[in-house]
Amino acid sequence: MIQLKDVSYVRLGSPDLEQAEHFATACLGLQVAGRGGKALYLRSDERAHTLCYSEGDPRDQTVGFEVEDEASLQDAAATLESLGHPVHAGTAQEAEQRKVKAFIGFRDPTGNHIELVVRAERSGRRYFASRDAGITGFSHIGLNSTDPARDERFWTQVCNARVSDRIGEIPLMRVNAIHHTIALVRAPQSGIQHINHQVDSNDDVLRSYYFLNERRVPIVFGPGRHPTSGARFLYFKGPDGMIFEYSVGVDEVEDEATHRPRQFGFEPTSFCMWGSKPAGMTLPNK
Amino acid sequence: MSRPAANQSTPLITSVCYVRHAVSEPQACARFVSDIFGLQQVAGHDDELAFRSDDRFRTVSLSRDQRDGTSIGIEVWDDAALQVIGERLRAQDFAVRPGSPDECRRRYVQSALLADDGSGNRIDLVTRPTRSGRRYFPPRDAGIVQFQGVGLRSTDHVRDLTFWRLLGAEVTDWVGDIAYLSIDHLHHRIALYPSRRNGLLYAAFEVEALDQIMQNSYFMQDNQERIVQGPGRQSASHQVFLHVEGPDGLILSYVNGMAEIGDKPRPARQFPLNATSLCNWGSESKDVPELGAPASSNRSNA
Repeated sequence: MIQLKDVSYVRLGSPDLEQAEHFATACLGLQVAGRGGKALYLRSDERAHTLCYSEGDPRDQTVGFEVEDEASLQDAAATLESLGHPVHAGTAQEAEQRKVKAFIGFRDPTGNHIELVVRAERSGRRYFASRDAGITGFSHIGLNSTDPARDERFWTQVCNARVSDRIGEIPLMRVNAIHHTIALVRAPQSGIQHINHQVDSNDDVLRSYYFLNERRVPIVFGPGRHPTSGARFLYFKGPDGMIFEYSVGVDEVEDEATHRPRQFGFEPTSFCMWGSKPAGMTLPNK
Repeated sequence: MSRPAANQSTPLITSVCYVRHAVSEPQACARFVSDIFGLQQVAGHDDELAFRSDDRFRTVSLSRDQRDGTSIGIEVWDDAALQVIGERLRAQDFAVRPGSPDECRRRYVQSALLADDGSGNRIDLVTRPTRSGRRYFPPRDAGIVQFQGVGLRSTDHVRDLTFWRLLGAEVTDWVGDIAYLSIDHLHHRIALYPSRRNGLLYAAFEVEALDQIMQNSYFMQDNQERIVQGPGRQSASHQVFLHVEGPDGLILSYVNGMAEIGDKPRPARQFPLNATSLCNWGSESKDVPELGAPASSNRSNA
């Protein structure tokens, strides 16, 4: 079984790095870690980078997960190949671009680009935000799925993900104590549905709501509260239509052995207990 | 007569206990207060419509009586304290008279001194406001815990401050000339807002948590009710608020999370009169001048 430790980074193609940088710093509030080779590296926490924009097609979207060590990486490659997932062994240059020691790339059953990495770089300097959004770190992703039941099996049986809760048939899955690291979202094609950064407090969620509104950043859902994870959230749209989320107060699953996934009905109150409704953002379709 | 020695350590006043409000259309307003805002309507005296928000017998009443239908109830410790207050207010030339038995009955209190502050706001200083044996049962799940306090419009804030200080209230913080007044462990129960006219600015009701502030915010939006400010958070008191306007300009507020003042005395802090002091999340007042900052002092230069 492939033991995912945590989500590590997201790589996004973009035709306009300047616009991406403006949004990432002036709106989202990330720190520029570096620019080079037609790429923009952004920090959100103690890691050297957690988001990378590279010049290219915005449909090029990749999510990286950390595994324990290089032996685990080799085992994972063998497992994936035996299941019929072609595996790309990252070259030294590609690894350098990702600020990792080694990595492999493959596609999940929906076709999402996934990378498994070892020894992702940490930074000696602490994270220093470009605006006071209160970001404490990159935390999870929403991942498109053309068949949530099939993809749930992939993430929970081939990998070590566990289902924390379900809304309709949509699983929210964890790879560590945090309620979810991967939220599957039913969609007609592969892709990253949203990128979550945790913030420090309720105040940060509400402040950003007013701040982003004033800057005419489209708020697509929230401010709200997920009854599943307990998190207070705000979803908004960035460059190339990518949706970003701030949230605070994601529950941790306290007892791994006894936790049973709860089933929530597929209805608006299962996504927001405060009563906010998505606007310009599709919820997973039934 | 001075207060008995045994009472020296007790405060003169202990709570803001009711709001009586005169409106032109009490029935329309009652619909807002109960169906929309979520207070429990109960039987009232005469033409008054009465509401509960907690274990008190009444905390809001509405009537058409512009002359005697408007006042703020302040609970006084006991009759000895009431006497001290009466002497202090008279010595400073504030209008004070004892409430008649009928006036006390209409206010559900044992005894009362009916006073005017410097702006002409009617303040009822009352003893033994009636409590109810039955628990509060609201018409909808707005999460209201209790009546918390009031914002008052002030046309003469120097004289009004004198009035409230004579009752033992203390200014905990200033935003411009807006004064937050504390009468117990909380940062404030009464806030005085400089204004061109007198009257009630808002009556505030504590809800359980931020969840209820936000749920009520979406409830108001869904029902096309007028949110005049919020959801927001006061910088000085940390209180989260949502101000909602009903008929006749009546503003009722949901609040949560007000700071306690703590044991250590400190001087009142001065905040500038700008949008960030009034709401550090960034909400702005819509058309209620007392709740807003002058346009020239916005967030960006805070």
